[in-house]
Amino acid sequence: MVGNPNCGKTTLFNALTGLRQKVGNYPGVTVEKKIGITYSQHGRPIQVIDLPGAYSLAARSPDEAVLRDVLLGRREDTPQPDRIICVVDAANLERNLYLVHQILDLGRPVIVALNMMDMAADAGVKVDAAELENELGVPVIACEAVNGRGLVELRLALSRLELPLARHRWDVPGPIAPAVAELQASLRDHDGRPPLIARAEALLLLTDFDTVRVGGSRPLSARTHEILQQWRQRWAGEGTDWSAALIRSRYDAIDRLCRNVIRRTRDTGPSRSDRIDAVLVHSVWGWLVFGAIMAVLFFSIFTLAEHPMNWIDGHVAGFGAWVKQSLPSGDLRDLVTDGIIAGVGGIVIFLPQILILFFFVGLLESTGYMARAAFLMDRPMSKVGLNGRSFIPLLGSYACAIPGIMATRTIENAKDRLITILVAPLMSCSARLPVYLLMIATLLPSDAVPAGTKAGIMLLMYALGTLGAFGFAWLFKRTLFKGGVPHMIMELPPYQPPRFKEILRHMFERGWLFLKNAGTIILAISIVLWCLTTYPKHPNPEATATEQIAQSFAGHAGHALEPVIKPLGFDWRIGIGLITSFAAREVFVSSMGVIFGVEAEDDDTQPLRDALRSAHWPGGAPLFTPLVCLTLMVFYVFAMQCMSTVAVVKRETNSWRWPLFQIAYMTGTAWLVCLILYQTGRALGY
Amino acid sequence: MPAGSVGRVCELTGDESFCQRVREMGFGEAALVTKISGTTTSLCLVNGTRIALNHPAAMSILVEQIPALGRVDGPASAR
Ligand SMILES: Nc1nc2c(ncn2[C@@H]2O[C@H](COP(=O)(O)OP(=O)(O)O)[C@@H](O)[C@H]2O)c(=O)[nH]1
Repeated sequence: MVGNPNCGKTTLFNALTGLRQKVGNYPGVTVEKKIGITYSQHGRPIQVIDLPGAYSLAARSPDEAVLRDVLLGRREDTPQPDRIICVVDAANLERNLYLVHQILDLGRPVIVALNMMDMAADAGVKVDAAELENELGVPVIACEAVNGRGLVELRLALSRLELPLARHRWDVPGPIAPAVAELQASLRDHDGRPPLIARAEALLLLTDFDTVRVGGSRPLSARTHEILQQWRQRWAGEGTDWSAALIRSRYDAIDRLCRNVIRRTRDTGPSRSDRIDAVLVHSVWGWLVFGAIMAVLFFSIFTLAEHPMNWIDGHVAGFGAWVKQSLPSGDLRDLVTDGIIAGVGGIVIFLPQILILFFFVGLLESTGYMARAAFLMDRPMSKVGLNGRSFIPLLGSYACAIPGIMATRTIENAKDRLITILVAPLMSCSARLPVYLLMIATLLPSDAVPAGTKAGIMLLMYALGTLGAFGFAWLFKRTLFKGGVPHMIMELPPYQPPRFKEILRHMFERGWLFLKNAGTIILAISIVLWCLTTYPKHPNPEATATEQIAQSFAGHAGHALEPVIKPLGFDWRIGIGLITSFAAREVFVSSMGVIFGVEAEDDDTQPLRDALRSAHWPGGAPLFTPLVCLTLMVFYVFAMQCMSTVAVVKRETNSWRWPLFQIAYMTGTAWLVCLILYQTGRALGY
Repeated sequence: MPAGSVGRVCELTGDESFCQRVREMGFGEAALVTKISGTTTSLCLVNGTRIALNHPAAMSILVEQIPALGRVDGPASAR
């Protein structure tokens, strides 16, 4: 299935395949691959691929490049499809037919699904499906994906053993013909393409010179590439823009084609969407509404999620206790309870926040508001070189960077998406809260300190993280991902009432993806971290937990780390905390509990805070001075202390390069900032 | 171009690949554009589709206001 963005392709795909879907990635590139199964009239299974949305086969983004490469049979991982369902938006027929027109050139069996017939009627446009079928020579089926109209007919068309090939002929502009012929011959001889595909591909290459390429696709042969370059130079020398001519001639052909197909029945005034937009993108009202929506989103993530999070927390703890009782004591039991259940449970606790964020993302997407939010935010975000679409992922990262990073899939521009992924973990997530709280309590133990001061310090940490995120976005845009502010052109789809079935489906899909991650990579890292704190065993079996952790690999690592973190005012015990909190930042609190021999209580940090306050360096100097507490908080603001984020970034960027870079730059910054802070503080006598 | 006015695209300048995309979206030379709103990021209506353009994008699409519907003659940017 192919189609322009917002033509209703996903809705139609879901209606056809129901729950029989598999979501994955195309190898070598971060583009989502969706495959589903539908059944023919006679019950024969048919595999349906939901290809990425695109305006043209002349690719401008990795998504579009994947679409092009699948249709041209350039990908190893996906065989060339037997049939192509082109979904078109009837309310925007001419523009949608541009892609269809390119696809018809491929000479493959095509079915056109003429979707959004209701929207077209609302806009006063009558589209004659039979006439379009007559013009194109391929089956054209009128549909309304959201109401299930046209599905039966579509399935019938899919069930036909033979499909007619397009009758529509279109003449390539004369002066381009020699270039097409030469490239076509080379594609046939050197790249092994069948003749028709070779011709279509030649036409494409001449419109975009194959600029966007993706991993996992077969490259062009050297000879074809050479011919392409020659034509390109020749045209540049002549000063004629033949690719523009090619586009114009396609649009002319589409105009002729549509002459008898589209009838404007009446001239409608401003549509409902126009009237809504008059308010929602207004320079004053628009911002008020936007602010209100973001406030509701932010509060829901924190307040609505609280109860289910406590519930999960309680059940994870209860389950751990039950396992502890049921299994004989020993390493296996400890691995299961302290390693696996505590490690995976510590991440699964964020599931409610993830579901809520994705409920809102789904709601905003399906009503069409998301594009408006991006439109509004575009200006402020462009100050740091990002575009409006980065806003929601960054906002979501205040809850947890994982859903934030998952939400970057709505950013089309690959560079902007990568930058957003790289800076998202700098937004202070909720796992940092327990660390901030403990440090503030240790810093200002007296109850006489006004709550405002404590809240002020907390706010300062949030501000620091946010500033850091925007600062680094700005920096990356100027260094790693150079190239001016990209030209952005974005369609604003018409407003629609929300469709809760689709929203819930999207929400659970993301939730499931998250759980799958927790069940694999996070599980593995939890086990490793547990082993690090457990082995080698203390020679004395009666050793306390404090002695055991000091003796373990993590303890040794803490000692090894001490020279590096001593300039920040941290000792080896804090070092162990830094290492173990890689499982999740809040683990720092429980690690401190174990190290200082205090049973950590969630809601009462008093005993732990007293223990921390009485901790000393071997020489007798206090360890947790106010300056160290502050430095430690700042360290947590910047450092990449989260294996789950690393795992998600690895999955979303499809390589280890970016997560490793992220660890390096974030932790490096944390170290540097803390060094400056601590040493300056010391010099000033704190 | 002030909000509410209608113009005709006369030239696309700047980034080649952006121009191609704009043409492919039916926003090429001779297309009719209605400016809806916006100064830095603009909102326009082209062939019944609402399209948002950021500043650099808008600046590279040169339009000619249609006198019957607009107030000023001569080329002006889509902004
Ligand atoms: N009125 C109407 N809305 C539709 C129809 N098909 C899809 N939609 C809506 O159009 C929006 C975009 O659809 P989606 O499937 O996400 O488009 P995609 O970007 O092509 O995958 C969603 O809000 C759908 O609910 C239709 O036939 N009629």
